[in-house]
Amino acid sequence: MSELQAAIFGALGGSLFGLMALGLSMGWGFLKNINLAHFAMILLGGYLTVDLATNLGMSPVATIVITAPLMFLIGALVQAGFERFDVSEFNSLLISYGLLIITVQVVTNIWTADYQRMAPEVNPLAAESVRIGPFVFPAPTLLAAGFAVGLVVLAQFVLEKTYAGRALQAFGQDRQIASAFGIDHRMLGVLLAGASGASAAIAGMLIAVGEPLIPFSPFDWIGRVFAIVILGGIGNVQGTLYAGLLVGAVSGVVALAWGPSASPLVVFSLVVLALVFRPQGLFPRKAGH
Amino acid sequence: MRRRAPVVSLIAVLLLVITACATDDSGGSTTEAPGTTGPSTTGAPGTTEAPSTTAGGPSGEPIVVGGTLALTGGLGPTGVIHQIAGQLFVDRLNASTGLLGQPVEWNLVDDASDGARIAELYEQLISQDQVDLIIGPYATPNILAAMPVAERHGYVLPQHTSVLAPAMTYACQFPGWSIGPEPNVFIPNQLADALDSLGGSVSTVGLVTNEGGSTSFVSYGPADNDEVQATDTILPERGYEIVADISYPIGNTEWGSVATELQDADPDIVVINGLGLEANGLIEAMDQLGFDPPMVFALFPAPGAVLSLGDLTDGVLSVSIFEPNESILAEMDPEAREITEEFSARVEEAGLPYTAFETQAAASWNTWEILTQGVEGAGSLDQQAICDYLHENGADLTFSGHVDFDPEVNNFWPTTQVLKQVQGGDWVVVWPEDSAASPLQGPAG
Repeated sequence: MSELQAAIFGALGGSLFGLMALGLSMGWGFLKNINLAHFAMILLGGYLTVDLATNLGMSPVATIVITAPLMFLIGALVQAGFERFDVSEFNSLLISYGLLIITVQVVTNIWTADYQRMAPEVNPLAAESVRIGPFVFPAPTLLAAGFAVGLVVLAQFVLEKTYAGRALQAFGQDRQIASAFGIDHRMLGVLLAGASGASAAIAGMLIAVGEPLIPFSPFDWIGRVFAIVILGGIGNVQGTLYAGLLVGAVSGVVALAWGPSASPLVVFSLVVLALVFRPQGLFPRKAGH
Repeated sequence: MRRRAPVVSLIAVLLLVITACATDDSGGSTTEAPGTTGPSTTGAPGTTEAPSTTAGGPSGEPIVVGGTLALTGGLGPTGVIHQIAGQLFVDRLNASTGLLGQPVEWNLVDDASDGARIAELYEQLISQDQVDLIIGPYATPNILAAMPVAERHGYVLPQHTSVLAPAMTYACQFPGWSIGPEPNVFIPNQLADALDSLGGSVSTVGLVTNEGGSTSFVSYGPADNDEVQATDTILPERGYEIVADISYPIGNTEWGSVATELQDADPDIVVINGLGLEANGLIEAMDQLGFDPPMVFALFPAPGAVLSLGDLTDGVLSVSIFEPNESILAEMDPEAREITEEFSARVEEAGLPYTAFETQAAASWNTWEILTQGVEGAGSLDQQAICDYLHENGADLTFSGHVDFDPEVNNFWPTTQVLKQVQGGDWVVVWPEDSAASPLQGPAG
């Protein structure tokens, strides 16, 4: 029973990591950009949530009305820059790492390096939970799971049922052929990067609801998010969610069985094994969609 | 790839601009950005303008005391307490006779909780700024980093909070907070003494430990010596069965699995040998599970943060070297009350959530008293003379009484540490009984 409860805790937390991985995975899979600035946008989204909720009295969840469009714009601008300068996959990693470092410093200068956490009266969700039978579902991570499922379903729908989505998939598979068929890959890329930025804003809000933030938080997230992207299959929307749930649940059970320090050991052993035996990920993106 | 060069140049320019524009916007402190030495802290949170020299007051060139504090970063909430306490001390000193008849200026640098930069900053303070005296940074890892620099230059290092006695081997470091030479033995025994008084209502323990240096040391002793006793061996010897023993990495924020394991073990008391906000995270996670352990002990929590959880933390135990409880202040010199009230006013003015002059502020005050008494006793700024004076004479501390420094035990004086408990929304000293402001409340409340 305890193992199941630990798995629930872990899976719910993992769904948030899955949501963080969603934008990164799509950008990597379809645009061939390894965009570490995605973590910068998550960080900014989190800090803006704390600021708007604390100083303007907004509901933390409602802050995405402001932060999501803002991060959409930033994400789109970064992608436009990548396009303008014809940045390669590897260079996108280096440049976006620079952007992440700059953002961490800017956040430190604006909000200081202190922990930022919303007061209980501003963020009553933090202490709430839902009980179903013998199992407990903490409200912050339950909310995160809800958003993660919703965004994955939406993204999957757009990819499979809309012209833009199908064009994006075609572009992801073969840029030149897609361009020959008249697909405006620049506009599509900017829109996708903007949408990834918006998802980063939502992830930032969800993190701020659940735990304290410090400017260096992205460096705690990167390892696990990359593990989820790789296990989920690069560019596989549903795969990121499944991998997030899997990694979270495994972490939770391992932490219960062998202690929290053992979780990273097991998770990254899984990643190494996956890279050796299933380099396409546990849930690879299907060709031909 | 032809366009790589402009992109790289743009990033480089951006980095330079950001670096050049970096300023500390941490709420009015005049300390400069991390890693830079700044002016004295006049105008810092909760401070007043330095008093003008009056007849009989200090005169001449100021004596400069250099040091860093974690004013921002993970340790910032507590570091600011040391800043305000220290500035209050300096202001009061300058308002009376100063040090050796001269005013004191505090050259305080924000180390941003970055332990990797501590040695470099102290080297800069001593070698480049040529400060007359130094005072330690906040938090054990940072103090450990500053100590070799002080030793290399032969500077006396009074330090606020490192209680890791075996590691503080420099003969001229002087602790402002002492849990004796063996904190790993004293803390579990003091806790067991208190629990013994509850008549057997507590018998099982869930031990939860941050793998960081000082907390792990209290739980398990030194990593390289299994013979040394600590919480994990002392509590069982005292009749308390450890039914869960969980370690977590530094920076852990996922408390669900820890809470679940504790719920399974169902201990009578959860002993959290952790730091800062960790106790809050675990207590909230246990509450979400519906697990309400009869008692909780938190070793080094952020004191205000624990109280911010309201009824959830009622009854939580912790350690303290001073609490401004009325019955304790009533037995002290009136100056102690004056200091605590003035400190609280400054903390409130700075907008900090918890205003009491407690352990951290008392440790800070002790440290400044050790430094200034050493200088006055030596009658000069000669570092070896200051060190020798303190070894020979000890110091008279407002909040800890007279203390003697024995180099054989790394200058860690017999502890005055007590146990405090959250009662009625505030911290109250409850143990030992002869120091208590209120009786210890057991599981029944």
